[in-house]
Amino acid sequence: MLAENLRIFAVVIGTLGLFTLVANSIPQVQSEVPQELSFGANVTAAELVSSGETLYNGAGGCVACHGLGTRAPNILTDADGTGPIGQRCGSRVSGQDCKAYLYSAMTDPAGFLVEGYSPIMPDMRRSLSDAQIWSIVAFLQDQGGEVTVTGADLSDEGGGAELAAPAAAAPATASMDPLEIMRANTCLVCHQFNGEGAPMGPPFDGMGGRIDADYIRQSILDPSAGASAGFEAFIGVMPAIFGTQLTAAQLEAVVQFLASQQ
Amino acid sequence: MSRGEPTARRRSAALKLLGTLGLMGLVFQIFPDVAWAQDIPMREYGDFPMVGSRVAVWVAAQVHLLFAAFVLGVPMFAIVAEAIGIFAGHEKYDKLAKEFTRLLLVAYSATAIWGAILSFLLVTLYPRLWIYLAEIFEVSMWIYVGLFFLESFTLYLYYYGWDRWAQGRAKLAHWGLGIMLNVWGTAVMLIANSWLTYMMSPPAEVTPDTSPAMVQFWSAFANATWMPINVHRILANVVFGGAIVGAYAAYRFLMATTDEERAHYDWMGYVGNLIAIGALIVLPFAGYYLGREIYEFNQQMGITMMGGFMSWLWIIQAFLIGVLFLTGNYYLWVGMGRIPGAERFTPYTKYMLVVLVIGVMVWATPNTMIANREEIAAMGGTNHPFLGVLGVMSAKNTAVNIMILTTFLSFLLYRRANIRPTVSWAKTGTMIQGALFIIAAAIVIFYGIYGYFVSAIIRIGFSVYQVMAVLFAIFGVVGIDIFLARGAESRGEIRWGQMPPRSQYALFILAVTFTWLMGLMGFARSGIRQHWHVWEVMRDTSEWAATPALGYASVVISACVLIFLVLVAFIFWLGGLAEKPAISGVGPAASGGPELAPAGD
Repeated sequence: MLAENLRIFAVVIGTLGLFTLVANSIPQVQSEVPQELSFGANVTAAELVSSGETLYNGAGGCVACHGLGTRAPNILTDADGTGPIGQRCGSRVSGQDCKAYLYSAMTDPAGFLVEGYSPIMPDMRRSLSDAQIWSIVAFLQDQGGEVTVTGADLSDEGGGAELAAPAAAAPATASMDPLEIMRANTCLVCHQFNGEGAPMGPPFDGMGGRIDADYIRQSILDPSAGASAGFEAFIGVMPAIFGTQLTAAQLEAVVQFLASQQ
Repeated sequence: MSRGEPTARRRSAALKLLGTLGLMGLVFQIFPDVAWAQDIPMREYGDFPMVGSRVAVWVAAQVHLLFAAFVLGVPMFAIVAEAIGIFAGHEKYDKLAKEFTRLLLVAYSATAIWGAILSFLLVTLYPRLWIYLAEIFEVSMWIYVGLFFLESFTLYLYYYGWDRWAQGRAKLAHWGLGIMLNVWGTAVMLIANSWLTYMMSPPAEVTPDTSPAMVQFWSAFANATWMPINVHRILANVVFGGAIVGAYAAYRFLMATTDEERAHYDWMGYVGNLIAIGALIVLPFAGYYLGREIYEFNQQMGITMMGGFMSWLWIIQAFLIGVLFLTGNYYLWVGMGRIPGAERFTPYTKYMLVVLVIGVMVWATPNTMIANREEIAAMGGTNHPFLGVLGVMSAKNTAVNIMILTTFLSFLLYRRANIRPTVSWAKTGTMIQGALFIIAAAIVIFYGIYGYFVSAIIRIGFSVYQVMAVLFAIFGVVGIDIFLARGAESRGEIRWGQMPPRSQYALFILAVTFTWLMGLMGFARSGIRQHWHVWEVMRDTSEWAATPALGYASVVISACVLIFLVLVAFIFWLGGLAEKPAISGVGPAASGGPELAPAGD
């Protein structure tokens, strides 16, 4: 009986040992915590770039998507002969310089969508502080371009001592014109209306003939609650931010406008 | 004693009480700040000696979960076994169900104890998180505690009433108790699942600035990953319960002193393995559902899980699943040695082995290589130029579905081993079964290859077709086989008990592997939260916030598994002290039921 028990014990320990050995034989990668950054007004470009690089390759989680795969643009390499991101960031969006573009790409990723990619990038303010975001911006600018981020760009709250709560979004426009509201809130990045915009989500043309105002309102406030026929695969893509981003009056203006499109 | 003395004693006690109260009132008047001190500084984190807070809570949670999975999984197949005993008249299944429940009884206390350990560790080591969750989920916590009473009483009634309520309507009522045991246990699990899934996928409207009082309860309770975890865990509990039962039977087999005992525990081990591997077949689909919901909740979390720092975890999982499939099939192939007539199928096992090994290799091939920028440039990408094509879900879904079909074929051959169908359509029926296998395999492979030529969003949908083809084949083949086996001639009685010891070691390996796999998945689920207590709501600011690498995690997982197995062995031994199990009488002269045993048993 003792011998049998020892054999059983050996089988158990051997199996555990095998699994532990296999798990220790593969590349060991630990997920780090984003380090708090404390920069003064005289922070140098080199310091920002260094911190940004650490965050980009580590705790910032950027390389999960922005590697050399197909999930997100390959921003560190020469994409299609246009150079790395530091070379092309200034010409991406008309009226936005490189620094402004990169910052908005991280804080309002749906504002400009690179062709061929899905709008899956989250608002990085939910996980990174302002100082951390700016340091990544500096690192990206350094990839083929000039670093223009300075200490003056960092948050007044002191460079990231507390990680940012996502700021309650201010309305993107004060206008009450439905079309202007939709343009300012980047609705037309995914929806098409009257030939304008992208045909990714359900078109706005004729929307009132397909669904009623209540459904339109719910779709804006809680987009994951359902999907129009044929767009089920995109459930979860539309962000649920418009309940806070639009004023009540703007929301109603858009709802009534879309419901009137026959 | 005079009649006045009790009255005097009462008067004296009252005076003392009044005096005490008066003194307290005086103290509160003089020292109000001391008496009513409210601003007691609270620490944010505690510290557990030697191993630290994270490992302490990790071990407590994991061991609790392992016991909980056992006590939730066993009742599910206990009531099925009892039902076979009641409605099909096979008494041995009723005895089997009782023995399952005896194991359950002794493990139940351990589950509760580890739950209490976990609760106390959370309260003392992570008080801020505890207070936050308690405020949101307080009502569900009260209901959770209340359900324990119901579950406990039902379990005791179910077990101790087994022999008393053994016939007629009383037996049906007894079976009803078993059903209610499952209801209470599942409800308990559903409530606990809401707490941990809220930590992973809180509603979108909850932010770091949202006070717990403002969190909508149902929105928090039924969050994005709650139902997928429920489905996954219900199935996994059945798998795990079967594996532990199989290991218990294996141990008793090896220690048996009579042929009768060996026959009983050989049969019990077969049933445990059948339950574990049978439920395992559908488990990947539940896992895929969970993964898909994680992606839909938060793409970054999903990508971190599958393509980021945790991506290699799935290679470890693939290795473990490979061990499971190979070991489970090996047990069946060795088991054919006790079945007269099975020798005609033995030549086919080597081909099935080749298919399984290839499947495991494909499944274990990583997609993204962890490389620095120079290495990436040298390879021309993060994917290996040759093996990278096998690292995508298209190849892996194909591999696992083929492995599932192959394992099912092993079961079918085992079932058909010692019978000779006598129905007139036997040959046609067998050909149809073969055709179902071939068609299902063809569909799986077709969509696996086609998936390389379409976009990801379309490729994801192909997995549904592959799954449907496999499930259709399984149900179709089983349905035909049930009718095919009716009235079949036996080629000889199964020689229960005549199994080589190495077959029982296979059952031990299965149990250890399933347990380790549960630990690995627990690490995956917690790890994708990274440095968040509640994803993007409450950050982990303790010294243990970083998510450890797989090597470190494997050491903790192995420790948890060892603790669990040692405890469960001790608990089962304790249970055996009080009462000897009823031997089912499975043996050379026994008759059996076709549902859980080979058709000719």
